Amino acid sequence: MKADYVSCHECDQICKVSINGAKGRLKCPICDNILYKHNEKMVENMFALSLSAFLLFIIVMVFPFMSFTIPGNTSDATFTSSIIYLFSDEQWMMATIILITTVIVPFTRIILYLTLFGSLYFGKIPYYAGESIKLLHKLMPWGMLDVFLIGILVSVVKLVKMGTIHTGISLWAFFILVFVFSAMEIQFDAHPIWDKIDEHQKDKL
Amino acid sequence: MRAIDNNLIACSVCHQLLKYSPKKDKNTILCCPRCKSKVQSRRHNSIQQTWALVIASIIFIIPANLLPMMHVDTFAGSQSDTIMSGVIYFIQSGSWPIALVIFVASIFVPVLKIIILLYLLISVQLGSCKRHRQRKRLYVLTEFIGRWSMVDIYVVAVMVALVYFKGISTIHAGTGANYFLLVVICTMVAAMRFDPRLIWDIKECNMKNKENNDK
Repeated sequence: MKADYVSCHECDQICKVSINGAKGRLKCPICDNILYKHNEKMVENMFALSLSAFLLFIIVMVFPFMSFTIPGNTSDATFTSSIIYLFSDEQWMMATIILITTVIVPFTRIILYLTLFGSLYFGKIPYYAGESIKLLHKLMPWGMLDVFLIGILVSVVKLVKMGTIHTGISLWAFFILVFVFSAMEIQFDAHPIWDKIDEHQKDKL
Repeated sequence: MRAIDNNLIACSVCHQLLKYSPKKDKNTILCCPRCKSKVQSRRHNSIQQTWALVIASIIFIIPANLLPMMHVDTFAGSQSDTIMSGVIYFIQSGSWPIALVIFVASIFVPVLKIIILLYLLISVQLGSCKRHRQRKRLYVLTEFIGRWSMVDIYVVAVMVALVYFKGISTIHAGTGANYFLLVVICTMVAAMRFDPRLIWDIKECNMKNKENNDK
């Protein structure tokens, strides 16, 4: 049994957090904001999920994404070809934002999760743990793979009447990647890691 | 019991509670001993920055809706689509669920977000004591739905990538898409800059609540 105080960052209420070992989450009594998630297998799950996300991301990047056929002509697209076409069309802003939100931020997050939980899984607390969590915290709202998924579905519906669409391996890998990402987001809670970092720092002194 | 009344500040990154002396300026910046990030009791200039971004997004939303989102160039000629003409196209071709998705994501959500942020800003500045919980829910809603307006940008991007038949037909992104992108980014950053704790900060309300509890 462990007790701690946290203040809700939505309404500033001070709440007592006591963990009795059961899996669950604690909500702020005033405003229902989630304060704390407790899951003993978080590190193991996150390591497994981030490893699979890493592999899926490589598949998404390397293999063909979709191809669109109209009578007499086919255009093949990879995951990044929209960014390349937009750049060559001199739509710098759109291309940059799409590059950041669908490639750079998700990939950075996967790498950060993988390195952080990889070393936690093997019982080490890396010196960059604090910095990783800070960076993850900042990147959180800017990864938009799930929104991109809806965008793909809408444009497929738009195009399906004009020609034939063939799906590539990359598209299916991308679908799974979106679900893996949301599983990671549900699981992830930085508090236990901060506690470990605290203990580690105390041991050093 | 609130942190600010007990001379405590919570670190916004690692949620460590820190002590501070309220005699100093309200906007003192501390350094969190655990994660080494800057800690403030309330986000500095939160209201001003949110106002600036909200006004910017109100300005950008006009060209975003009037200028074309994309140009379809075929050998027969060129055709331009705005957000609304895309929605109308889907309604006419019978796929109204897609029309609904586009309408909600590209027209309804940005406008709703701007209205909610305006309401929150005005109610905080007027020192409103009512409906804290509902206003907080509205804030969480704006934070959550903010990203989903990007759908239309991604639709344009995927269309550009898939319809790429040189000489027969190509799709180019229009200027409207750029303005729309600016609206989405401005409202997202505005929601991040707004400090939800300000909703609960009005002293007289907290006094009143205490009196009510004592009774």
